[in-house]
Amino acid sequence: MTNNPDKHIKTIGIPTEEEIRQAQIDFAPRCTSAGRVNDKETQKIVQYILNFARKHSLFVLAYGTGCGAIEIPATMTSRYDAERFGIRGAATPRQADVLLITGYLSTKTLKRVIRVYEQMQDPKYVMAFGSCTINGGMYFDSYNTIKALDRYLPVDVYIAGCMPRPESVIRGFIKLQELIQNGNAGGGKCYRDNLDWYRANQQKVIKNWNFPDEYNW
Amino acid sequence: MQENILNQLNKVFKIKGQVKSPLRIKVVADKDIVSSILLYLKAQMGFIHLNHISCVDWIEDNKFELVYIVWHPEQKQTVLVHTFIDRENPVMENIDTIWDQANTYEREMREMFGIEFPGLVGDREFILEDWQEMPPMRRDFDTKRYAQETYETRPGRENARNVRLEIMKRSGEELPDFAKKYSRD
Repeated sequence: MTNNPDKHIKTIGIPTEEEIRQAQIDFAPRCTSAGRVNDKETQKIVQYILNFARKHSLFVLAYGTGCGAIEIPATMTSRYDAERFGIRGAATPRQADVLLITGYLSTKTLKRVIRVYEQMQDPKYVMAFGSCTINGGMYFDSYNTIKALDRYLPVDVYIAGCMPRPESVIRGFIKLQELIQNGNAGGGKCYRDNLDWYRANQQKVIKNWNFPDEYNW
Repeated sequence: MQENILNQLNKVFKIKGQVKSPLRIKVVADKDIVSSILLYLKAQMGFIHLNHISCVDWIEDNKFELVYIVWHPEQKQTVLVHTFIDRENPVMENIDTIWDQANTYEREMREMFGIEFPGLVGDREFILEDWQEMPPMRRDFDTKRYAQETYETRPGRENARNVRLEIMKRSGEELPDFAKKYSRD
């Protein structure tokens, strides 16, 4: 019996149907229909608390494009100290709430940014830095940078400037917090609803669309 | 010291150089002997450091100009070796056997100007990705037209027009004279 690994897995790893049924009875939620909240006023309060929590814990993906990423260390460290607003870094896209597009975006980087954005979990927000993301900026006639970011990804906040100083960056974050509190931020749903439009724009500039199958939804 | 360098190059390769500044010597050579000159400069004269290889597109003369910039760290001297190659069929000798770092410059020139270096090791795709047009640093590549055709621009901001003037027109705000001087339209 000890030398049979399959049996070992069966007894510990995979529960039998009887065990599952027993567990469903044991661990079923105690508050069923009586405790469930459905009326609009309660929903409103719950949404308020959720938005309040979200706006004060913005996890920023540690990813920078272009030249504006150099403003992020200044924003995060002791002088401007963005962490007093609840803004801090996150290591991977799946842990992050905010994607910063810091400066010009070449088509080569756009391909990576799209993958990063689609890996992030809802609610997710995009902040775009500098005039390059707004209208191309000084790269308005460049052959390899996109000119208007919101054609390719839903953008919540644009920060003007070339580059925006940390004060502007923090002001942009405060604007994003306002939008989150009012329930106006978060382009994930917009992206999903208008996916065809976004995909058409993206595939117009990314000539060789060789994404893995998970991205072709 | 600069005369010595010029005399030595003249004696070996029969080429005439000129002194551009106290720290800089310019030499124009035929493309066949450029690699010999560079190897001689490195091995015999102590110019052991390759600063840069740059390429200039002389579309009017139908030529590419390549400039090899080498440096002598003890004498603090720079030698610029200029050479011209045909623009229609641009082929140049590969010198990454002399300096390894030349490989990077040559790959970039192959991608950006379409110059072929026979025997050059490395992926053809260097900085650009999925590029299907002509090499973009050639002067007959119309960058602006390509950008306008490929990318979506924000309406009203297709060119480098001054933003202040637009704001002034819309809001009726008066712009001071010194600001008008620097605005372009």
